[in-house]
Amino acid sequence: MARVELKGVSKAFDEVTVIPALDLEIADTEFVVLVGPSGCGKTTTLRMIAGLEGASGGTITIGGREVTDLRPGLRNCAMVFQNYALYPHMTVADNIGYGMKVRGMPKPEIATRIGEAARILGLEPYLDRRPKQLSGGQRQRVAIGRAIVRQPDVFLFDEPLSNLDAKLRIEMRTEIKNLHRRLNSTMVYVTHDQVEAMTMADRVVVMNEGRIEQAADPITLYENPANTFVAAFIGAPSMNFVPATVVGSDGGLALRLNDGSELAIPQDRWQRYGAAKDRPVTFGLRPEHNSGGGAGEAVITLITRAIEPLGPHTLIIGEAAGHGYTAQVDSHFPAAPDAQVSISLDMTNMHLFDPDSGRAL
Amino acid sequence: MMKRPLVFGLCLFWALVTLFPLYWTLVTSVKPPTAVNGGPTYLPYIDFVPTLQAYIDAFSGIRGDFISPFINSSLISITATALSVLFGTMAAYALVRFEFRIRLLSGLIFAALAIGGFLLFNETLGFSRAQAMGLAFLLALPACLLANRLPLPGPVLGNNDVLFWFVSQRMFPPIVTAFALFLLYSEIGREGFKLLDSFLGMVLCYTAFSIPIVVWLMRDFLAALPVEIEEAALVDDVPRIRIFFEIVLPMARPGLIATSLITLAFIWNEFLFSLLLTTSEWQTLPILLSGQNSYRGDEWWAISVAALFGIAPMMGVAMLLAKLMRSGLTLGGIR
Ligand SMILES: Nc1ncnc2c1ncn2[C@@H]1O[C@H](COP(=O)(O)OP(=O)(O)OP(=O)(O)O)[C@@H](O)[C@H]1O
Ligand SMILES: [Mg+2]
Repeated sequence: MARVELKGVSKAFDEVTVIPALDLEIADTEFVVLVGPSGCGKTTTLRMIAGLEGASGGTITIGGREVTDLRPGLRNCAMVFQNYALYPHMTVADNIGYGMKVRGMPKPEIATRIGEAARILGLEPYLDRRPKQLSGGQRQRVAIGRAIVRQPDVFLFDEPLSNLDAKLRIEMRTEIKNLHRRLNSTMVYVTHDQVEAMTMADRVVVMNEGRIEQAADPITLYENPANTFVAAFIGAPSMNFVPATVVGSDGGLALRLNDGSELAIPQDRWQRYGAAKDRPVTFGLRPEHNSGGGAGEAVITLITRAIEPLGPHTLIIGEAAGHGYTAQVDSHFPAAPDAQVSISLDMTNMHLFDPDSGRAL
Repeated sequence: MMKRPLVFGLCLFWALVTLFPLYWTLVTSVKPPTAVNGGPTYLPYIDFVPTLQAYIDAFSGIRGDFISPFINSSLISITATALSVLFGTMAAYALVRFEFRIRLLSGLIFAALAIGGFLLFNETLGFSRAQAMGLAFLLALPACLLANRLPLPGPVLGNNDVLFWFVSQRMFPPIVTAFALFLLYSEIGREGFKLLDSFLGMVLCYTAFSIPIVVWLMRDFLAALPVEIEEAALVDDVPRIRIFFEIVLPMARPGLIATSLITLAFIWNEFLFSLLLTTSEWQTLPILLSGQNSYRGDEWWAISVAALFGIAPMMGVAMLLAKLMRSGLTLGGIR
């Protein structure tokens, strides 16, 4: 039982509020990823859960126990830091076992737990080495091992993979996910990398300026972003945003862009967007929901500025209706810079947002 | 290309400047009296015939007791160094990791109560001076701690001010403290607790006098340590005191060694306090050295031997610690 609950938790550093009242519930055994741009308060939130930073307001509950004013050691959390934070003067085995030794656990049990953690993480050959003699990936494994043997209620990770190279990062991503499945414990994971967030999380919490913009499973975030911030943050390359007006056409609805062209809105969305009729909106469509050529029903003309062949597909970066627009097309689609190409849009994946509040309609 | 020989030449020149006095002391210690008094001579076996007579004299005790000041100096400086490095490092750690907010007014309250209380207890109530001092302190300390919790007006001092306060204790001439300390010790001695010319008195005074330097040096070393390592231990429910001794101190080893060395050298060479606060039993080596030429006139060969006694242990310690420090630095890769 290790639900984590944050109720109205806020944080101010000397008058400057970095986190206004924040509510977040993390279910038992859930893998939650906090993601957001730099400085949005992810680390601060995590540190408040760990108790390394006191909350300025609100209550934090772990496993039904209120811990708001408890010191870090009594919260039964384990934390993994970006820069490993290993004890430099201890061997790998001592690093993993130190906490247990301090808590007065019997030696044979310590040895058993160290052995088990080392086996899970593939650290057995390195137990007698010091952190300095390990690679970055091995160091981070030691840090994870130190967390595992604690048998904590909650695992807290603060960008644990940021110091690793790209290949190792992908390997460790899988390893941490497997670990979660094996240990079946609650994990809160902070990253600024949205791919990491999407691939690892049961639920992604998108934060911005100390607020939660949306908390949902990866597919929901991708398909139904709650606002333009989430829509732009999740997915790479970022979603296209074009100002438009909802107009009536042939008994249904359509979007009129600034250049006068009209794009039909699919029939199943008519009811949902009915209230926005004759109002300005922000039209959003992801680059991958475009295709080259004018074969579809909704077609726009794109003035190409740059072509980026990526292998499986190609990105055309250009302008449509006077706004920046990126389209993902087939690798063999003929396109040249500073030319006009027709792009057909897959309107079943369209999004509309309120231009003032940014909220999804 | 012209630069290297120039730099090398300058270094060589400076090495000569620093090493020559040492060489001079060394050769003088093996000169017979005639070679010392008859104008400058430089090279043994060429300018004069060396002799170990001065050393034999020293060990036979003709020139006064060398052994017990040597032991005194060793005991006092090692103990005081250990204590001041321990407590100074603790204070530095607190200044680095915790935020202190001290109201200036509560400090003034302490001063007022300490001085006023002393006058009250001593002059009005008739306690002896040492008793009055103790009582005034017992009154002033809790009062000032309590006052600091109240929302008093006036400026609030932070960690840097505390650090400055530590360092400022070393900014006035030591003679000021030395006289005050002499009076304090003799007053306490009058109560039957001997501090003048005692091991405890010397250790206390050197510890107090060294702590500011230790705090100042160690603060920078400790501030350079990554805080996450300690935070990892905190999350793991390691008590602060064990974090300090088992994690922070090992990580700060090079700094500790350097600081100990500086402190040890300072205490070993200290003259003024020892001159005022010791008389016979706990006299230290510098006092003995300074007294050398008054025993039997300027017998430079004998004075040289005595000086070498003072220098040699520090050179040994310096070399040993420098070696330790180098191995510590290579082990220091913290991240
Ligand atoms: N000790 C502090 N004192 C003052 N302000 C702080 C402190 N720690 C963090 N902040 C501020 O709080 C905000 C949130 O910081 P936080 O470290 O939580 O961001 P983050 O989301 O983890 O960013 P990053 O992705 O760069 O790690 C930032 O604006 C930062 O400047
Ligand atoms: Mg961060």
